[in-house]
Amino acid sequence: MPKNSKGREIAEIIPEKCIGCQLCVGECPVGAIVMEDGVAKIDPEACIGCGRCFDVCPADAIIFEKPRKKRMTGVGQAPVPVDEYKGVAVFIEIREGKGAEVSWELVGKARELAGKLNTQVLGFILGTDIKPVGEEAIAYGCDVVYMIDAPLLKAYLPKVYGNALVHLLEQVKPEILLLGATPLGRDLASVSATRCETGLTADCTGLDIDLQGRLLLMTRPTFGGNIMATILCRNHRPQMSTVRPRVMKLPEKDGSRRGEIHTLDFAAPEDNLPRIIDFIATPVEADAEDITSAPVLVVVGKGACDTRHLPMFRELADLMGGAVACSRPVVQAGLLPYERQVGQTGKTVAPKIYIGIAVSGAVQHLVGMQSSDKIIAINTDRNAPLVRIADYALIGDYTEMVPRLIKGIEARIQSFEGKASKR
Amino acid sequence: MHIVCCVKQVPDTTQVKIDPETNTLIRSGVESICNPYDLVAAEVAVQLTERYGGKVTVISMGPPQAESALRECLALGAKEAILLSDRAFAGADTLATSYTLSQTISRIAAVNPVHLVICGKQAIDGDTAQTGPGIATRLGYSQFTYVSEVVSVDVENNTIKVKREIEGGSELIEGTLPALLTVELGLGIPRYASLPELARALRQDIEVWGAGEIGALPERLGLRGSPTSVHRIFAPPVREGGRVFDSTENTERAIEDFVEVFFEKESPLLEHLLSQDKG
Repeated sequence: MPKNSKGREIAEIIPEKCIGCQLCVGECPVGAIVMEDGVAKIDPEACIGCGRCFDVCPADAIIFEKPRKKRMTGVGQAPVPVDEYKGVAVFIEIREGKGAEVSWELVGKARELAGKLNTQVLGFILGTDIKPVGEEAIAYGCDVVYMIDAPLLKAYLPKVYGNALVHLLEQVKPEILLLGATPLGRDLASVSATRCETGLTADCTGLDIDLQGRLLLMTRPTFGGNIMATILCRNHRPQMSTVRPRVMKLPEKDGSRRGEIHTLDFAAPEDNLPRIIDFIATPVEADAEDITSAPVLVVVGKGACDTRHLPMFRELADLMGGAVACSRPVVQAGLLPYERQVGQTGKTVAPKIYIGIAVSGAVQHLVGMQSSDKIIAINTDRNAPLVRIADYALIGDYTEMVPRLIKGIEARIQSFEGKASKR
Repeated sequence: MHIVCCVKQVPDTTQVKIDPETNTLIRSGVESICNPYDLVAAEVAVQLTERYGGKVTVISMGPPQAESALRECLALGAKEAILLSDRAFAGADTLATSYTLSQTISRIAAVNPVHLVICGKQAIDGDTAQTGPGIATRLGYSQFTYVSEVVSVDVENNTIKVKREIEGGSELIEGTLPALLTVELGLGIPRYASLPELARALRQDIEVWGAGEIGALPERLGLRGSPTSVHRIFAPPVREGGRVFDSTENTERAIEDFVEVFFEKESPLLEHLLSQDKG
């Protein structure tokens, strides 16, 4: 271990591993660490060799070899008595009088988490005339539903919804609260987490439990999807997380499930609230297909961005009962509309079968499709990122391969139908 | 009208990569830029002062180098800039960040009343979109996220009318000032600064405030004030590649092989799909 001129053993940073999170900068008791070019740097003369930077570094970017145990970092404000908080709660968003699909996906995930914690799944519902949604919540897996049914909750206003949700959180005290990462969910999550002074992690793609500390392990992509980070909220409750639609699996609905429904009142905020003057629905195109719900997607990449071949891609999609989607360059070129873009700045999809035609597979595209069941990649480049992760890689010119593929699949479908009619 | 803009310096994330073998960052050539959403926020703020009069103050929390993000905004036409730089701010999550920024805005407003706070919808390094609503909640301001158009501001009657993008469409909504907006990228195109503006931006003094200047409670700042902490980082899971069918020799043959294997291995999936299709 290196020593400074005072003979003190000091900590050392491995610049290649540093993620620039600045945790060590905040933790260092003597201000010996500064950020330089996005990387933490230790002033060897100022370092007192206490090793606190080593303890907080999430990236193992600090070398500190004095024998000591890596302690759990007890940071934060006065911790709350975490034992008083029980249950995994899901905020159930209402869309056109029904529960949003993402909310049911989260109820499914909450069941799994609650199973590990040996606790209950709680549904939180805010709105007007929401009784049927409460019953649906139980069918999807909630044990207890808490709702606030008030005319003021008809449309979303941050202060009103914030008051209502914080009231539920204070009354029910769940240890975990999950919300869909929709425009409403993200907004409301931040308002409530701020009011409760608790931790909130956005856009998680993985949720699990650390049983020892009853902690929610919240994993999310960061740095544009190039790095995954697992985040903890140790000393504050509830542990809050938003999750994007279609990341978790939609559970089966079971009408025979039983549960309790409680209705609560709340104090509406009294100051002059914003007034919604008008709602302008986005016009639905005549040929609009929702690429997030198609079981099969034929995805057009930059290398197949050619108007002449679009009918061929449609034919393949129709044959399989699917839809045509694309990567970002294809939208930029104007071949297909933004509604059909897959990827970080487009939509997250998880079809049964994903067929990428000349899609190279930039990381921003991959984060939007990697939970597809089966991936087929058609590309001339054997080393394209999508080809390397594909379950089936077809190497060659798509203009020659796709027509033959269509013929081959047609023949198979006919034989399927033949079999079916014999049955 | 006095508008405060909150901006963040971020790494140009499209360039940050992780080496899956060594699990280390490849950061060669990664530049720091002003978050693109925040540049739009600054542009919108300047346009509003051009329409209604007044001035724009930009603030940014970060290391001393974050000063360059503030200068980008000064070049767009912001009049004042304050850099929030203090070791006590380091390691902040969104809760501690919104506390620091709201304390700062309170201090600014005590001297020169604030009508509007404008933030970018989200920062490209974290994509959380949490800081804006957090600031509005702490300050008790009217909150309008995902704003795609500022229809009108009426300082005399203390009202603002905006269009917001929400699930399934957009809403036209009116509320009272002071208000906080978070803006979509499409709301404005940051202008090219003129040479005199650029020169002014480079020469202007930027005040640096620390925990003392904003009257903050130390236990609510930075690492200490952050309930969340990073537990570990890793490269995204990589899906294993499967079978490769090469058609460079014989296209016909490669496709036949593929269809054969595909329909054999995936027959339950395909039969289900194709029968559903018929139904």
